[in-house]
Amino acid sequence: MKLNTAMRVNRITDEIWEIPASEKSGMLVPARIYATRAILQSMDSGVFEQVTNVACLPGIVRHALCMPDGHWGYGFPIGGVAAFDLGTGIISPGGVGYDINCGMRLVRTGLTLDDVQPRLERLMTELFRRVPAGVGASGFVRLDRKAFDAVMTRGARWCIEEGYGWHSDLARIEENGCLGGTDPTKVTDHAVARGINQLGTLGSGNHYLEVQVVSNDRIFDPPTAAALGITGQNQIVVMVHCGSRGFGHQVASDYLKIFEKAMRRYHIAVKDQQLACAPFSSVEGQDYFAAMNCAANTAFANRQVITHQIRESFAAIFGLSAEELGMELVYDVAHNIAKVERYPEGELLVHRKGSTRAFGPGHPELPEIFRQTGQPVICGGSMETGSYLLVGTDRASQETFGSTMHGSGRTMSRAQAKKAIRGEQLQQQMKQRGILVKAVSMSGLAEEAGVAYKDISEVVETVDRAGITKKVAELRPIGNIKG
Amino acid sequence: MFPSRHVFVTGWTVASQRQIAQDVLGITIGVKVSMPSSFRFLDNVALADLAFEAEGDSIEEVFYAATQAVIETIASSRTIDTSWERAIERSDRDLSELLFDWLSDIVYWKDAAGVVFHEAPLTVTKAGDDWVLRARLIGAPVDRQTQELRNDVKGITKHLYELKQDGASWKARVVLDV
Repeated sequence: MKLNTAMRVNRITDEIWEIPASEKSGMLVPARIYATRAILQSMDSGVFEQVTNVACLPGIVRHALCMPDGHWGYGFPIGGVAAFDLGTGIISPGGVGYDINCGMRLVRTGLTLDDVQPRLERLMTELFRRVPAGVGASGFVRLDRKAFDAVMTRGARWCIEEGYGWHSDLARIEENGCLGGTDPTKVTDHAVARGINQLGTLGSGNHYLEVQVVSNDRIFDPPTAAALGITGQNQIVVMVHCGSRGFGHQVASDYLKIFEKAMRRYHIAVKDQQLACAPFSSVEGQDYFAAMNCAANTAFANRQVITHQIRESFAAIFGLSAEELGMELVYDVAHNIAKVERYPEGELLVHRKGSTRAFGPGHPELPEIFRQTGQPVICGGSMETGSYLLVGTDRASQETFGSTMHGSGRTMSRAQAKKAIRGEQLQQQMKQRGILVKAVSMSGLAEEAGVAYKDISEVVETVDRAGITKKVAELRPIGNIKG
Repeated sequence: MFPSRHVFVTGWTVASQRQIAQDVLGITIGVKVSMPSSFRFLDNVALADLAFEAEGDSIEEVFYAATQAVIETIASSRTIDTSWERAIERSDRDLSELLFDWLSDIVYWKDAAGVVFHEAPLTVTKAGDDWVLRARLIGAPVDRQTQELRNDVKGITKHLYELKQDGASWKARVVLDV
């Protein structure tokens, strides 16, 4: 089997591959990659280098992991999962990602394709107007520093208190939309200045808002789908992919600089400067964790305000309230985050970067409404193909620190994608296929063409067969908003 | 259309105008001295993000070229007005860190002031052990109707980051997180 690495890669099962700790100097644990043979062969060399670099970090427990949507990232690979001992281990901004709590949200409706199709153009125009996207976009929520501090500490709870959502939303958000352990004094004024006007904005890059349809033939687990409010019958749902915007990025950048210096003090050597880290128990480590939690809460709040605007848009176009339209939240889940969780080894700091938490049925940290189904997992594909709703499993808790994939993963660079297709051409082609796209930037649109991504179905099949998540339904796009 | 290979951007710095006009031409106003700059986007360096290499015959030129690369990644500079301006001065013993922090300033002001940029005339001089950058960041508030907006650059990264002298020229390699 030809791979983009000279390292030895052993087959554990058809979906699990292991690089022994002997393959690179300094590896403390083996690295494991979840992939089919075909996906493994298509993975870039960065995945193999980076997952084995992560395996060298102090205090790492069991394995350094990479999910099947893995590709090169800053320090950690995208799709990377690593858990560290709280006493001897580190925390690394590179293991969280620059866009802290980038994540996915899914809102269901009681509408069908027949209801929406005649008004799709108007609906997408309204969504495009109400949900700012792209360079320099600012949100409609005006915050002073005191209010922004409240967003940092209360996350989606702040939004509900201010009228941007329903109380029932909170149980359907990871950590009820509000992480503890925040401290706004650990966030720089620089970061606040970048984020204070961005609440309720999508951003650009691979972030989007998508109107999707669920057909009967794309529901794989009808009882679980029904329990999550997914009924099929060409039901309309809305997916949001975005994070903490410039604020989260600045928090990460600020602490990377601090950690570069701290590493010398703590005598930590890393294989890649972007793996800059500090002991979790150190002052620097605790400060970053508090600041990261602040950024994570702003991301929950960001998606909550966007949800409010989505509900308002649907209400305006269909002449019914969002409650009457059945616009309940299905779930909101982070895929760039570090959290303290309990495993057989004890309490561990689990880094998920481009990886989603996937707790199985009965997990004590899940609210009652998901105790039977397991935690919903939302995975976004390219805007041309489709996305998936899945649920977590006990096996994920046992094997992958309760983690799974997050999306389809790129195979082509942005520069290459722009050579392959022009934005205007892509927009026209998608319209002919029944997908209406509103984009701020045509070059940005071309960069997100489906051709630049892996086939998400193959990635989903991998985690389903590996048993770390079970697929529930496929969601097909009919309208997309991009920055 | 967004450039995908070599792009040559011609600009000028006010400081260069002044200095050359005074020192060489003996006049103080009405002369624009061009500072040629070049940058190219790299195809296979950062799969999910954007990477570029900037080049110049001097430190000032490579700083200017890298600046233009960041500005053009965010929006087409020719579609951006000049109604907003901010003077920025930075110093650092490490030239490479100085460039990194300056490019990060551009990203910061994009978000903090909600602006996009036309250009940034700049000078880089040595003062004792420090390198000193003086720049004027010039642009306008974001306007979807009149400006060609591109990527909302979130940050400058240290991945493969490099500033080096290569024979008679200077080169910078930068990966932007988008």
